[in-house]
Amino acid sequence: MKHLAGAVIAALMGSAAMAADPGVTDTEIRIGDVNIMTGPASFIGRAVSIGSKIAADEINAAGGVNGRKITIVTEDDGYIPARSFQALTKLLEVDEIFALNGTSGTANVLAMMPLIEENNLPTIVSTAPNELVYDPVRPSVFTLGASYSDAFYAQLKYIHENTQPENPVYGLIRQDDDFGLAVEHGYERAVKDFGVKDGGIVRFKKGTSNFAAEMIQMRAAGVNVLANGGIISGAANILSEARKLGMPLESAQVWSEDMPLSVNLAAQAGYDYYVGDYVALTGDDYDAFVEKAKQYVTADDIAAMNRYTLVTYAALHAMAEAMGQCGQDLTRACTVENLRKLKDFEVGGIMAPISFDNDKQLSGTAIAVYQLDAASKTFTRKTDFADY
Amino acid sequence: MDLFLLFVSTGLVIGASYGLIAMGFALVYKATGVVNFAHGELVMLTAYVAFSLTQAFDLSFIPLMLVTIPISMLIGLALERIFIRPMLGEPVFSIVMVTIGLAVILRGVTMMIWGPDPHNLTAGVTTRVIMIGHLPFYAAQLMSIAALAICTALAWAFLRFSRIGIAMRAVAAHETAALLVGISVKRIHAIAWALSAALAAVAGVLFAMNFKLAPDLWFQGLKSFPAVILGGLDAILGSAMAGLIIGLIENLSQGYIGQGLRETSGFIVIIVVLMVRPYGLFGDKDIERV
Amino acid sequence: MRTGHFQETTGQLIALTDSPAVIGWTGVLIAGLLAAPLVVGNYELTLMVTVLIAVVGAVGLNLLTGTTGLISLGQAGFLAVGAYGNAVLMVDYGWPVWLSLPAGGVVSALISLLVGIPSLRLKGLYLAITTLAFSFIVSHVILYAEPITHGPNGIFVNGAKILGVNVQKGPALYYLTLFVAVCVVLMVLNMQRTRLGRGWLAIRDHDIAARAMGIDLTRYKLLAFVVSSFIVGIAGGLLSLQIRFINIDVFGLILSIEALAIIILGGMGSVAGAIMGAVFLTLLPEAIRIAFNLILTPGSAFYSTYVYEIRGVAYGAVIVAFLRFKPDGLIGLWRDARKYWSNWPLAY
Repeated sequence: MKHLAGAVIAALMGSAAMAADPGVTDTEIRIGDVNIMTGPASFIGRAVSIGSKIAADEINAAGGVNGRKITIVTEDDGYIPARSFQALTKLLEVDEIFALNGTSGTANVLAMMPLIEENNLPTIVSTAPNELVYDPVRPSVFTLGASYSDAFYAQLKYIHENTQPENPVYGLIRQDDDFGLAVEHGYERAVKDFGVKDGGIVRFKKGTSNFAAEMIQMRAAGVNVLANGGIISGAANILSEARKLGMPLESAQVWSEDMPLSVNLAAQAGYDYYVGDYVALTGDDYDAFVEKAKQYVTADDIAAMNRYTLVTYAALHAMAEAMGQCGQDLTRACTVENLRKLKDFEVGGIMAPISFDNDKQLSGTAIAVYQLDAASKTFTRKTDFADY
Repeated sequence: MDLFLLFVSTGLVIGASYGLIAMGFALVYKATGVVNFAHGELVMLTAYVAFSLTQAFDLSFIPLMLVTIPISMLIGLALERIFIRPMLGEPVFSIVMVTIGLAVILRGVTMMIWGPDPHNLTAGVTTRVIMIGHLPFYAAQLMSIAALAICTALAWAFLRFSRIGIAMRAVAAHETAALLVGISVKRIHAIAWALSAALAAVAGVLFAMNFKLAPDLWFQGLKSFPAVILGGLDAILGSAMAGLIIGLIENLSQGYIGQGLRETSGFIVIIVVLMVRPYGLFGDKDIERV
Repeated sequence: MRTGHFQETTGQLIALTDSPAVIGWTGVLIAGLLAAPLVVGNYELTLMVTVLIAVVGAVGLNLLTGTTGLISLGQAGFLAVGAYGNAVLMVDYGWPVWLSLPAGGVVSALISLLVGIPSLRLKGLYLAITTLAFSFIVSHVILYAEPITHGPNGIFVNGAKILGVNVQKGPALYYLTLFVAVCVVLMVLNMQRTRLGRGWLAIRDHDIAARAMGIDLTRYKLLAFVVSSFIVGIAGGLLSLQIRFINIDVFGLILSIEALAIIILGGMGSVAGAIMGAVFLTLLPEAIRIAFNLILTPGSAFYSTYVYEIRGVAYGAVIVAFLRFKPDGLIGLWRDARKYWSNWPLAY
């Protein structure tokens, strides 16, 4: 009983409301970023940091948000959800961040969700736009990016309408987790909508490198349109097996496969695969972005840039826009409210204009389909940004 | 039937890789009584060393191995000298824990030197498809199987005929007795680490050639445990054989049952083997059972 | 000056302590821990909760590995079972948390029988690898048993209340974990001085001799598995209450390794050692972070690129250095310090 009495007393003391929101001074706004800075997936964290830096430097060079400079505080979670929780606790309590931009993977952002809700922390999720993040909607959480489901649907639709392979048989290889599940939704929707033959779905465990058995099954089923749910070296190994088995294949892939490091791996197999992505990978807008980036970051950073840089950049600009509309009296509640009102906010054409004024507080769902030219390792854009 | 043969042939490819890694585990265990939990990291590190060598000197496969293996052996010797030797006489489990700490260090160091980006490692080997009967292979896949055969043969000859090999078996059989007949146990331990690092280099380079070079390659070390257990922790040649068997089991279970069983089937095999035959298929039977 | 320490009855020998100083200082420690939420900030409190959960888990593992000598690399599996047991019963079946938390422990204990029975014939590294295999299989089953575990979607663990107080954050969570940790520590300390505990120690030191003395190895080893997994399962349940979201990624292999590192660094077989190890290893990354912040200015180029990896390397290096220079762990360091203090100025 003694413990409980203590708990009650302490809870009462802790609930005395604080006057102003943390993370804002007259000269500074602190924005947090929990990301993957260690381990095999740390290229994501690094790219996110670069995106944050470009956006923050650009905003600060133009005078900041109503005179306040943006500071980014990054904390590593090594892709482990329990550490994401610890990292966000630290950012909230020690570094006193005002908002969060950069949220690591899906399980990681879900592990942080209770803290985000409790603190009404304005948050833009841009690297893991999973349905689990915006369904159900959390008041202060905004999601930037299409679902994996739509990304695959868009590609399969393009393949179905434009390449028209003979006797099309569709097949899916997907990871056996939340991400794979989302991919499967897109695949099933496509197969149903187009009335095409489903050659089968194979699940694999995260971290698998040998896909021989899966591809043999795919070939046995006569699959010639593949939804390739592998990532990075996994996707490359799937294509490599396909080539060995001499399969003619139209392959739809995850957007991580448009990063230069993935292309370097996968191009070896020689398939001109597709990706569906919600950021621009080619074109004048993209080139303009790279030129701009060169002012703020080193050549090394430019080389380490990828799609995650772009989404983080766009998200921070959206955040800054919402904060800017609050004027001098900057609070979390006001920022959340303005984010909710954000409509057709332009981010230099590197993705479709951002509008969070919908039920799901979700934007950037418009997808463009790109096709790789394996010989030159470059992408060409096949469709405009469109919702699916 | 064709389907079955395809499953078998590709199972042998991944199995060869397990076998090569498992041999490295078994070698260190046999000589020193320690499971080296940093072996997977050693496999990754040596593969990255080879990668840097191909970047710098554009070596083809055989010269590459001729350079990588000695470097790896030096790395193995250095690690043994710095981390393991000072622990001589401590309880086995403290030493095992040191190898776990070493694994954390090696992973971090690899990331710091080479960064997180994955790479292709071709080592000048053709990426054309080679047909054997109806079965397609990449050259690197055949090399994997060949390397396992060669390493097994060399290991057999080494343990059977060479002075050092016989001394190593003596140390494995009874450390104190070996010491009494004048064998330097310390030296044997060091040699075991060096040879295990050499095996790691062969395994690492071939794995990277077949399945890309990425900083999660260390995980293959854990994935090879089923092979080590099936073969028997102290059975060097048995581990090679068991690697092939595990590769086959994985591919066939994935091919005919599915449900992501590939990554788990090996570990189910571990449990079954340990219940029925705890010393593995080829291990020494004097494991105490109480 | 003390000349020696004499115990004359069995009661004295097996008493938890006969030293008024120990009782006094333990009282001070408990009082300090009870008062902590009034003094420290929220972040420190979260860290303390993490430490306490680690203490529970480490004491549980120590019972199996340190006391009975059965090495386990599958703690992540037992943690996962306990966490899922608690989460599923609480969220899907609406059990109150004071019931679902121990029930998670019971589920974990039952599952441990599945591993325990085949493991009876094994010891040493073979057992370690079996338990490792077990944790892989657990994660596979959790991922594929969707109707029960929600598979890849994970579970949000919300709304745990005891007497109307939300026990998932702040001081309430702290007091809950503190309460559980104290209970577990007392339970294990007392178990170790019963016939059962002495039987476990005998098995660790020499199982054949233990059997010759009439200890039923099957029963004692299985009991060690069951009790240990029950405790570890409860640690898993507490973890699920703290993080409030669990999926299979939460219970990676790294947890099993950290758990083992904790008890080895703390000093095998000693409850106090397990506690010290848990405190030390949980706070180590924090200490390394603070040390780095002192040396380097945050924001410098070097800092942003390498510091995170270097932190990881430093973590491994500390473990290795400890094993190298102080193989009997923190508890050994503590005993040395105490001996030095009480004998000074004599050499021994």
